[in-house]
Amino acid sequence: MGHAFLESVIPMSETKLRLNLQDLVILALLIAINIVLQKIQFGPAYLKVGLGFIGLTMLGYYFGPVWGSIGAGVSDILMSTAFGVEGGFFPGFTLSAMLGALIYGIFFYKQPIKIWRIIVSTLLVTALVNVLLNTYWLHLLYGLNLKAAFLSRILKELIVPWIQMIVIYIVLKALQRVKIKK
Amino acid sequence: MSKIIIGRYIPGNSIVYKMDPRGKIIGAFFFIFLIFLANNWFTYLMITLFTFAAVFATRLKIKTFWEGVRPLIWLILFTSVLQLFFTTGGKIYWHWGIFTISHYGIENSIYIFIRFVMIILMSTVLTLTTTPLEISEGMEWILTPLKYLKVPIGQIALVMSIALRFVPTLMDETVKIMNAQRARGADFNDGGLIKRAKAIIPILIPLFINSLTIAIDLAVAMESRGYREGEKRSRYRVLTWSKYDWINLAFFTLLTALLLVLRKH
Repeated sequence: MGHAFLESVIPMSETKLRLNLQDLVILALLIAINIVLQKIQFGPAYLKVGLGFIGLTMLGYYFGPVWGSIGAGVSDILMSTAFGVEGGFFPGFTLSAMLGALIYGIFFYKQPIKIWRIIVSTLLVTALVNVLLNTYWLHLLYGLNLKAAFLSRILKELIVPWIQMIVIYIVLKALQRVKIKK
Repeated sequence: MSKIIIGRYIPGNSIVYKMDPRGKIIGAFFFIFLIFLANNWFTYLMITLFTFAAVFATRLKIKTFWEGVRPLIWLILFTSVLQLFFTTGGKIYWHWGIFTISHYGIENSIYIFIRFVMIILMSTVLTLTTTPLEISEGMEWILTPLKYLKVPIGQIALVMSIALRFVPTLMDETVKIMNAQRARGADFNDGGLIKRAKAIIPILIPLFINSLTIAIDLAVAMESRGYREGEKRSRYRVLTWSKYDWINLAFFTLLTALLLVLRKH
């Protein structure tokens, strides 16, 4: 445990950080999928759920915390600058996306799919990223009163994670059946 | 799905188009920092004037910019109204339960409205006048200093350009897959939550498998054309700094100077 575990989650040396070409191209296509998914929303009009979190989950699941969060960072940069998401580019949200993929990576990368992992990781992402960090970015970016910013976001963040958990479970179970050829 | 626009670039010929993407991207980042500096009427007025100057300099239709703001307008109004009720201070005009309308509240909600709209407009100026490819090249240049922190920038740049190249392909692929599944009776807009969540699988899995096939083929093709990891390569596309970029620089320098002088210290 200890060091060996840390090494498996976060590769320390630069040589271990490098991906081979095939993995690199798969990562690029996963980012492209992530961008495409971001454009699809599902659910009734009063509760639209974006599919962006599936992309983050897939990045974490296949590439682990380090490359997963690099991939999430690249998707966010491309999405907000090149493909135009609502609201424009702010590096804080890039950090949020990276942290989300990092959390999913720690919980899912090379791990068996367990319900508790899905519940804990989704709750962590919701609490740390969506509620705390993103609200703070909104506060910083637009000078919102923090209390008012929380109020306008909390309702959605109380409902959406439970939907996300179901979707993540279904998606991961299905992805498990797809094996990457080496 | 049919309404999805790939990239938001609109071809044009004004000076904003001729600027270097690096300058434009840095300008768009820097603008957010400048917004932090604004704290009174004069500074907000300056920010607004300069943003509109940038918008008019693109010589695009105002309607195009409105389309960037429109999807968010309710969120912006909702947030401004919340600010109106929850910021207290100064003269109080109206009070009921937890709701208060005060002098600061009104001022604050107007400021927040301006911030929202100006940040959106400025980043829309960037995305409308710069092609996705230029943006990714500009970003690559900006990220270069991370090399000293041992971040594999070369690999990240490659990932960026491949991802960019395949977004339109995968977008088409997604539409095709959805139509194919619809032809066999799949319904993506109906049913309860779990049913809808499950409906993602017949889209996601074929999309993922197709992407894996593309990735494996592409990796083989790249290697057979002599791509070797970590070896020094030359550049075919080079970004150049032109006289228009000095206009860009002057624009932001002037705005910074004005804000520093006019803001409340």
